Amino acid sequence: MRFEKLQRACVALVSVSFLTLGMQMPAAASVIGTAEAIAASSQTDSLAAVRAAVSRDDVRARLTGLGVDAVQLDGRLAALSEAELAVLADRLDEAPAGGGALEVIGIVFLVLMILELTGVIDIFKKT
Amino acid sequence: MIRAALPAAALLWGLAGCAASPPLAEGLPTGLPRSIELAGTPFFPQDAYQCGPAALATLLHASGVTATPDDLKPQVYVPGRRGSLQAELIGATRRHGRLPYVMPPQAQELVAELNEGRPVLVLQNLGATRLPVWHYAVLIGYDADRNVALLRSDTRERVEMRWQKFARTWHLGGRWAITTLKPGVVPEHADAAQYVEAAAGLEAAGRHEEASLAYDAAIARWPDAPLAWFGRGNAAYGKGNLVVAADAYLRAIELSPRDPAARNNLAQVLADANCLPEARSQLARAMALADGTALAAAVAESRAKIETRSPVAAGCGLPNRAWPD
Repeated sequence: MRFEKLQRACVALVSVSFLTLGMQMPAAASVIGTAEAIAASSQTDSLAAVRAAVSRDDVRARLTGLGVDAVQLDGRLAALSEAELAVLADRLDEAPAGGGALEVIGIVFLVLMILELTGVIDIFKKT
Repeated sequence: MIRAALPAAALLWGLAGCAASPPLAEGLPTGLPRSIELAGTPFFPQDAYQCGPAALATLLHASGVTATPDDLKPQVYVPGRRGSLQAELIGATRRHGRLPYVMPPQAQELVAELNEGRPVLVLQNLGATRLPVWHYAVLIGYDADRNVALLRSDTRERVEMRWQKFARTWHLGGRWAITTLKPGVVPEHADAAQYVEAAAGLEAAGRHEEASLAYDAAIARWPDAPLAWFGRGNAAYGKGNLVVAADAYLRAIELSPRDPAARNNLAQVLADANCLPEARSQLARAMALADGTALAAAVAESRAKIETRSPVAAGCGLPNRAWPD
């Protein structure tokens, strides 16, 4: 009795996964995505397309190196188009990474510190 | 002391940069109010280095998505860079079902967006070109009479920044700004290519339902934009709706006859509907048009796949159309 229930559950599970698999099939077939078509229309050579193919792994490796949790990376990379990944792979190190205004205070302090230490200014009163 | 302080002052002045930009009142487009403040915009104070998640949560909330900075941090923060990348703010917006629209790089566009009731996420460089300090803030308004920009920024709920200073930091940040739109909403001032590209980003991220709404809205606004029709075709094909997909690709080809991508995709629909001779003739044309472009490999792959299909006795399953030459 219990076995029969389990069997039925298994059949249901397998059929659902087949159904969802079937539903996703068209998207996986060889239609060209809109983002891909837009990228292609602004490129003159096929080199960029080749680069896009390798950039996903490249960006993954480098973001992992920058401390991004590997578990989160799949979802993060899946949200970007191939063209965006190619750009990111090219410029990951110098691309702006917004962090916050706190650093401004740090930089100003650092500059004042250097000037003070080198004797250019004397604003930190010594006793 | 005075002699010594001069170089220091000069250095700090240099750090801050000094590109000239006009007061807001001079650049305010006609027809816009003298001041706007989207006071209902929520506020999330940032933690250290977390201006990206905080600013994005602010914008998403304003567009009806309840995501907190804590939800967003694992989706955008890069510890090794102590900040968040623009591309990932865009990606995270898609993951929450909103369309990230990158604004044209003019200040007038930002105030026009405020006028439609939507705050704008801006990238600022609070340092200098060579010594950048990148910061994301949310522009929620302006006051032309007092010449200020109104921001939700870092740990401050309401910042009044002199307009020229705001414009300069935004300019040094590359004039980058985004708005997060509910799919189907098209800003009054939107650019067709830019909007369709944003919709294509949703599609690439697998958000087919939202992409579909965005393409429909794009077609309603710009009925002659071939890529909007192409996108509608892809959205319909993704849902398995071959008739709608074929008609959309047909319109795209009509508007842009030399586009190999639309022909390739139409061929795919024809093949799926068991219209193999028609599919092959579209592919032959697509091959010729794609020759030497970035799409050559993709079209060749489609052709190889379709060559291996054998016809089903039932015949072509699409209503008769005048397929393009």
